[in-house]
Amino acid sequence: MSGQTAGTISQAPGGVINRGGFARRYLQGRAAGVAALALILGFLTLYPFGMLLYGSLHSTPPGMAGEFNLNGYAEVFSGPAVIILLNTIGISLAKTIPALAMAVFLAWIIARTDTPWAGKLEVLITLPFFIPPILTAMAWAMLGNPQVGLLNTLWKWMTGSTVSPINVYSWGGVVWHMIQYSTPFLFLFIVDIFRAMDPSLEESSRMCGASRWRTFRGITLVLMMPALTNSFILSFIRGIESFESPLFFGTPAKITVITTEIYNSINHHATPDYQYATAISFSVMAMMFLLVFAQWRILRGRSFTTVTGKGYQPSVMKLGRWRWATFAFCILFFFVTVVLPVSQLFIGSFFRFFGFYQWDMLTLEHYRNVFASSEIWRAFGNTMLLGLIGASLTMALGAVVAYISIRTKWRGRRLIEALAWLPWMMPGMVLGIGFLWAFAMLPGPIPIYGTIWALLLAYVTLGTPVSVRVMSGAYAQLSFDLEECSRVHGATFFQTLWRILVALAWPSFAVGWVLTFFMIMRELSASILLYSVGSEVLSVTLMKLWANGLAEQVSVIGLMMMMLVIVFRWVQLRFLKSRISTL
Amino acid sequence: MRMMRMLGAIAALFVAAGAPARAAELDAGVIDAAKKEGKLSLYTSFIGNPLHPAIVKTFERKYGIAVEVYDARATEINERVRTEQTTGRFIADVFQNGQATLERLEKEQGILQPHGGLPNSANLLAAHPATATRVPSYILGYGILANTNLVKPADEPKSWTDLADVKWKGKLMSDDLRAPGGGAILFAAIQDTLGADFHRALALNNIVFSRDVGVDEKRVAAGEFPLRMPQLVSNMAQLKGLPVKFIMALEGAPYVRFDLAVLKNAPHPNAARLFINHYIGEEAQLMYANGALIPVIEGAAAKAGEAMRGIAGMKLMGTTRPETQEAYYALAKEIYK
Repeated sequence: MSGQTAGTISQAPGGVINRGGFARRYLQGRAAGVAALALILGFLTLYPFGMLLYGSLHSTPPGMAGEFNLNGYAEVFSGPAVIILLNTIGISLAKTIPALAMAVFLAWIIARTDTPWAGKLEVLITLPFFIPPILTAMAWAMLGNPQVGLLNTLWKWMTGSTVSPINVYSWGGVVWHMIQYSTPFLFLFIVDIFRAMDPSLEESSRMCGASRWRTFRGITLVLMMPALTNSFILSFIRGIESFESPLFFGTPAKITVITTEIYNSINHHATPDYQYATAISFSVMAMMFLLVFAQWRILRGRSFTTVTGKGYQPSVMKLGRWRWATFAFCILFFFVTVVLPVSQLFIGSFFRFFGFYQWDMLTLEHYRNVFASSEIWRAFGNTMLLGLIGASLTMALGAVVAYISIRTKWRGRRLIEALAWLPWMMPGMVLGIGFLWAFAMLPGPIPIYGTIWALLLAYVTLGTPVSVRVMSGAYAQLSFDLEECSRVHGATFFQTLWRILVALAWPSFAVGWVLTFFMIMRELSASILLYSVGSEVLSVTLMKLWANGLAEQVSVIGLMMMMLVIVFRWVQLRFLKSRISTL
Repeated sequence: MRMMRMLGAIAALFVAAGAPARAAELDAGVIDAAKKEGKLSLYTSFIGNPLHPAIVKTFERKYGIAVEVYDARATEINERVRTEQTTGRFIADVFQNGQATLERLEKEQGILQPHGGLPNSANLLAAHPATATRVPSYILGYGILANTNLVKPADEPKSWTDLADVKWKGKLMSDDLRAPGGGAILFAAIQDTLGADFHRALALNNIVFSRDVGVDEKRVAAGEFPLRMPQLVSNMAQLKGLPVKFIMALEGAPYVRFDLAVLKNAPHPNAARLFINHYIGEEAQLMYANGALIPVIEGAAAKAGEAMRGIAGMKLMGTTRPETQEAYYALAKEIYK
């Protein structure tokens, strides 16, 4: 659709019709815009990546005397590292596949069935994603340790058995803990795709005699391919980079994955082995890039448009009595992933010590300490500020990148998309080092290092892949004729952008915003290296409390964060509901 | 008369040995210059040290100089200091870190500058003298944590060697002996005192490693494991009311000493000197002694509260040394696979 021939009638994506000199200026402006975007993304991603690449090829970190060699990469391709990599891939697949299946099922229940209280269930299902992983890890350790875990004790009491059926310190424990985070994460991506889908194709399929299952398999799932593959890749990569679950549950069981190997290479030496840590990160990144490339190849040239100019009502399947079964499934998921662990945290927060539920240990001391701590409030204030600004900037950047990538054929769009993807493929603890090196190496007059701006830039960089993925999935479903209609009826480019693209994609924008906001709230790897006195953030404060054995206070803050999530999601869904009713 | 003077001198010596030495001030010129600098930045690897805010307050109150404390884990703070030093972003003034780490960083990276002499360093214990750049600040001692419901007094380990007993197989939880922190300190102390053969015997007991100290202590209290090692004695106050007990091993306590130093090109060098001098003064050292840490100046242990006196004066066994650090990490990885 894009016309680039100056002097003739040309039509840019989105239906912009131009003539002569105006077209030339338009194209020049567009090229400058793309170049500016590439420059911004280059600074945010390529610059720290360049520092890390240097680190992987040099015997010492930047600024120190040493030599260039390939020792780091040679070590990566030695026997043990390859086995660790295969283990990691196995774990990530073992958690991504069931998590995706469960997320699709839950999203379908919420968006496309008449399951009771679907709106409330939607909020509840997403809650696990927003609880700091270290808190749920601690809760599951109390529930599922083989010696005195609550679930095992209950089982033994009920059956008279002496065998503990659950051991969270195992491969299963690592995978289970990861699934709890992956499922709501994937659900958040998928549910709005289901909701925004025009059911006409499904109806046609049913009218042609296909069963519900066949329609779901042959139409619904196929139309959701971009969203599903995006989600799968995001989740699979996140699984490769998952750190808390393998560290907490894997280390005692002698399970090593890539992230714990990187952690060990940095922390288990007198002098951190950054060369190996960065080399292994780049090797994994190359592998993941192949995966993303494969996805591009698979989806290239295929249309997945499901939101067209025709009016439609998202179809809701009447389940009859089965709606109570789907309701029960959602409640079961909520019970197992939220109620079980969070009840431990909630009850524990009223006792002096977790797990010691005696009357004489009842206390409100942890709440008093948290509310009276000026350090916590300062960190909370900084985090809210960074979260609000960071999430908004990240989503704006992601929306622009996704627009160029999905809705245009502009030259350079693939580069922009690739640049935005990069941070997702680098483990957080390594990328944190990259930011530290990059910001510290900036010329003196650029005042980023040691300021709150360093944190903001790092958060925007880390959040951009998610924002791009969320917005790409949404844009891919919008028919081009919507934009063209708008233009034909006289709307300007920006009116079209605002009234069509933003209006139709904004539910995804809102989901992405919440995801990014809470990612910022939880981010630790870069924060700990970049914060300065006065710009402390909540994740750093939580880590300090945790390091001092004040897990009960960490829980109080974790519970407050959950309350915040409920408020955010409630507001978002109410707003979403009113918006959808006006479409 | 002469005899009286001699007796008086001897009595004075005894008094001096038993009581904390008197705080000595730096020159008025240094104090004035420090006040003009107005603030200083302390980087410390003792993350969330609960005594830091109180000690910093005593300094701020006394001199009117603001202290900014940046604390992070050792690996992170070391890399931050290295990066700042190599890129010329001189933000930190005082660096506090484990003795061996600081000594190694000084040797490898040359990031420290001489403190220029501190009056209070004359009061430091003979076993813990200051160097031209590094000044001891306090010591953390380690022992064994036992669950009192699971370990009867008769079964309690008395010595580190008792932990190799087969009765503890699968029942020992430990900070990772292959990683920096309490685990590496215990490994080094045992290696230097009891040797690698004892480590090999201990490894047969299938020790479960975990690095979440705060959580691990409570796992022992909850009965998941009867014993945990090495246990920081200063953490015991937080566990008051739980069925756990601190056991001091016969051989003594593995320990880590935290040192202070002025970083090269510190933007507030006079304030940094004044701060370090204050830190090893009587007031700050007594605060450490009463917080179950081991002070490094003469007489402070004896002046600590009664409950803390034993801890402040505990027998020390061994610690990590820069010359063996890397080799011991490799050995630990080989033994405790």
